[in-house]
Amino acid sequence: MKFLVCVKQVPASNEARIDPVTGSLMREGIESILNPFDAYAVEEALRLREVAGGSICALSMGIPAAAEMLRGLLALGVDRAALLTDRAFAGADTLATARALRLGAEKLGGADLLLLGKMATDGDTAQVGPMLAQLMGIPHIADVSRVVSLSEREILVEKLTDDGYLRVACPLPALITVVKEINVPRLPSISGVLRAKDASIDLWSAQEIGADPGTIGLKGSATRVVRSWRPERAVSCALCSDARDLLEKAGMLGETAAEREEERHA
Amino acid sequence: MSLIRPMAEEYASYLFDESRTMGSADWICFPQTEEEIVEAVRFANARNLPVTAQGALTGLAGGASPQGGLILNLSRMNRILGLRREGDSYYLRVQPGLVLQQLRKALLNKKFDLSGWSDSSIEALRPVKPGELFFSPDPTEPTASIGGMASCNACGARSFLYGCTREHIHALRAVLPDGRVTDLARGRERAQGREFRLPFTDGSGLSGQLPPFDSPHMKDAGYFFREDMDLVDLFLGSQGTLGILSELELKLIPAPRHLWGVTAFLPDDEAALAYVRALKSPRFPFRPASIEFFGKRALDMVERQKAETPSFRQLQPLPRDYCCAVYAEFNAGTRDPFYPSLQALGELLQSLGGNPQNSWVARDQLELEKLLFFRHSVPETIDILVEKNKKNAPEITILSTDMAVSDEKFDTLFHLYKRDLEQSRLDWILFGHIGENHVHPNILARNSEEYRRGHAIFEKWAADVRDLGGTITAEHGTGKIKKKLLLILLGEEKMRALWRFKRQFDPKGLFGPGNVLTEVGE
Repeated sequence: MKFLVCVKQVPASNEARIDPVTGSLMREGIESILNPFDAYAVEEALRLREVAGGSICALSMGIPAAAEMLRGLLALGVDRAALLTDRAFAGADTLATARALRLGAEKLGGADLLLLGKMATDGDTAQVGPMLAQLMGIPHIADVSRVVSLSEREILVEKLTDDGYLRVACPLPALITVVKEINVPRLPSISGVLRAKDASIDLWSAQEIGADPGTIGLKGSATRVVRSWRPERAVSCALCSDARDLLEKAGMLGETAAEREEERHA
Repeated sequence: MSLIRPMAEEYASYLFDESRTMGSADWICFPQTEEEIVEAVRFANARNLPVTAQGALTGLAGGASPQGGLILNLSRMNRILGLRREGDSYYLRVQPGLVLQQLRKALLNKKFDLSGWSDSSIEALRPVKPGELFFSPDPTEPTASIGGMASCNACGARSFLYGCTREHIHALRAVLPDGRVTDLARGRERAQGREFRLPFTDGSGLSGQLPPFDSPHMKDAGYFFREDMDLVDLFLGSQGTLGILSELELKLIPAPRHLWGVTAFLPDDEAALAYVRALKSPRFPFRPASIEFFGKRALDMVERQKAETPSFRQLQPLPRDYCCAVYAEFNAGTRDPFYPSLQALGELLQSLGGNPQNSWVARDQLELEKLLFFRHSVPETIDILVEKNKKNAPEITILSTDMAVSDEKFDTLFHLYKRDLEQSRLDWILFGHIGENHVHPNILARNSEEYRRGHAIFEKWAADVRDLGGTITAEHGTGKIKKKLLLILLGEEKMRALWRFKRQFDPKGLFGPGNVLTEVGE
């Protein structure tokens, strides 16, 4: 079976700054990591491969340095990794990203099952997975918390909903996005890290995947960021040195527990 | 509200530490300044009340568990007071109740409450980058207080590379039982041979004599005695029996730029011992910061606990056919040693019959936290189980030792532990700081009879360790629960010398009642 995981590099810190002029995230000086949700997608692919056999490809779009993140996935046991990297991809919104990923997935020869994290921790949109499935013309299931079974023709999963779990079956090829309840991502082994050290990673430009420049990057984006700002903190917090201080600040000093009890019964 | 308060039910949680040694007290206070410590100490002295100092109550030897009298809880003296630069070195002045985690956070984010800082301190801080400076002592428990760590010279895993807490404390202030304050700095006040004169801030002094023997020449959590020693070292490891630490100056070092580590699973304990010997050898390309051992029973114990402790479910599943594991952490200035060291580890594992596939590599700080979480899950599980066993018999406490011997004697000690434990038919695990020759055998007593038998085994080991030339407490301190072991290690004559030494500081015997020293007939 062919598995494909699409992953993203995100800032390690959740204190990312926003450029006051363009409204986009400023990534300089902040360490980048694999999007935490994507780690669960990778782990699930590794587990499913152990059962179903086959191979796993990892695909990402980003700056050339993101290749090191992909090397980390090769260390875990991913078989092949490709990075879409080109200035033409820059500034992509979720739609333009999904279009590029679709072309990358096709160049990799497609897949029976695509796995993604439910969302990226920087953009928090949760749109790329479902959009990619739509563009590829395959069904998708979002927020998967458990893969119940996987056969050559069908996948049966449980997905997380606001009210509980929903059990859904879906024909392959298909795409799922996963939540962090699904598994515990592993660390690589010594052999894995050494094997990945000199492994080659495909770096593909927009031209190499046959992308129409008007459909990718900032140009191909259907949305525009008009303004970004940091939400104001609505609550303020005061530190209290002890219980008395707390009562004083809360305006409850002088009232004993017994009195309050009386009031409650009154 | 007055500083010194009568003991009340709301303070019940101040009667024991993490060892679950229950104590009692008549008074409690939470000083916020050195003056308040002095006031409390004078209050106690005037009434001949015993005084027990407390930090964050994370100790494992009962040192902070009170025995009547006054509890002097320092948890509200938790401020960082200033920074000093001398050449390329930085020194941070802190109050003793500061919690390690808070210190780490402040250094990592360069976020300090600067109120009360001098201009020169603020000036010294200006060029420092977030995360650039580092306080290396790491006693596993991040909520330990700096004062508590100093008073038992806590060591923990990374001391294999960096040394114990003692080596990272440059200066200190301490309040003595009569309320006088001493202000000491390394290199400034030293003993002459075994004679010393301790200066006080009021201009007076205390002349005295060190005991006529050296403390163990290895990592040790007790008193420190050497000829011509720095007087700073008198108070580090003294566990509240000589003075109460009121201020500490910590030596900070440049933070390692690249942290990484490997947990390797080995086919048997002998392979693990050989693996550790090779890691410690100067032939290994890079010196580890720490080397930790997990015996099979420790791994099994955490695995079982996963069913009951939800947070443990975030632990990576163990490989099939595991026996024991060794964790090695590396702290480097660059990424350069990463691949060569990893290569060497892989080859080493293979040569010992292990499989390099059965290993967990953490390539950065974020991944390392997973391995540390795994490491920490062992003592956490012990805590949970002891709490459970306590329901059968309230006297049950953690039964853990931190005895240590020299490199050459370690294998002997390790085999001795295993043989005695296997014969005991008790519930036990073995894990800990194997890099520095002290693993922690833990006995999980399920009833009073097992608890007594556990103690008897520890007493046997104390004599074994004495014969091997080791120490009974490498890092947790003697506190209250290892007094008997210390007496076995030292013998009555040296114990009497310790009493004579202590009485010079504390003629009424008020400080740290029940800690370290055992009454022996003259």
